[in-house]
Amino acid sequence: MASGPSPTPKGYRVTPTEPLVRGAAAPGAVRPPLPVKMVIAGGFGVGKTTAVGAISEIEPLTTEASITEVAAGVDDLTHTPRKTTTTVAMDFGCLTIDPTLKLYLFGTPGQERFGFMWDDIVEGAVGGLVIVDTRRLDDCYAAVDYFEHRGIPFAVAVNAFDGRVEHTLEEVRWALDVSEGVPVTVFDARERGSVRDALLVVLELALARTEG
Amino acid sequence: MADAGTDSAPVADPEPVGPASAVRPFLVTAGRVADGGSGRAMPVETQVVATAAGLAALGRLSFEQYDIVAACRLPQSLAELAARLRLHLNVVRVLAEDLREAGRLAVYVPDTDATHDASVLRRLIDGLRAIPDSEGVSSDSD
Repeated sequence: MASGPSPTPKGYRVTPTEPLVRGAAAPGAVRPPLPVKMVIAGGFGVGKTTAVGAISEIEPLTTEASITEVAAGVDDLTHTPRKTTTTVAMDFGCLTIDPTLKLYLFGTPGQERFGFMWDDIVEGAVGGLVIVDTRRLDDCYAAVDYFEHRGIPFAVAVNAFDGRVEHTLEEVRWALDVSEGVPVTVFDARERGSVRDALLVVLELALARTEG
Repeated sequence: MADAGTDSAPVADPEPVGPASAVRPFLVTAGRVADGGSGRAMPVETQVVATAAGLAALGRLSFEQYDIVAACRLPQSLAELAARLRLHLNVVRVLAEDLREAGRLAVYVPDTDATHDASVLRRLIDGLRAIPDSEGVSSDSD
């Protein structure tokens, strides 16, 4: 395993331009696990990083990424959407399932007012969790719209701050206008078990879709 | 060119975003942006690991290239690399691609068909269920 050419591990494709470095991983180097990505979305301060940190095996890391902002400006006489790239801070964590499989959780930056294209971060994600603060429901519209539009399996998780929720789940569902197939749950972003269960809801949904 | 390519060109956007860093991000990449001309940037969870040649050449690498190869003795994602080295994600994408072409880094781009496969999703579900909550109760203990 340490020397000589070896095939690309199952589950990977080679990078677009050849040649891929075949079998040239350093002697003793561990084969990378298959990385599976989930996205944690929602408005600013809603508990995304808290949720990631509750279940991640590492302290949440932050990196700068680019997202495309699609702004329909009122001062835009051409009526074409302005697109600009914005640098945002993105928090993420991970969880090793076994040596060959690793779950990555990416918190998409909280943005409320504009349409944001998160493709650069979200592309290839198996599912999304939209975290909602019932005191500021409209903060998560952008995330809900994005996942619905992109056809990415997602669930809505109401973060019960201090164990309290200001609206019933039915009210939340009505306000967000999500379709019947989108699970709406309550969870506590600080509790590992609660975050785990919310992620499971999304994964079950993704699995049902592959089997459906 | 993709998102970052057309939109973040210095001329198009003179407004600084975020706190200024000591070195402007794309100075490191000689102005190049991430997508390798293929139209799609490598996913943030793409795994990278140093090659034997890369580690052997460490002494001849400079600055960010050195940091990346040295950090990749163990496989990690582009996102982890960017965070740990405090580099913009797109800078890491460009440099990782350079290092791969030079044979110093092995880059594993996950295949969506594989990550979305039912068997993989089941393994994720089983793995997650086995994780205990704060009271030590796993969700599959019932």
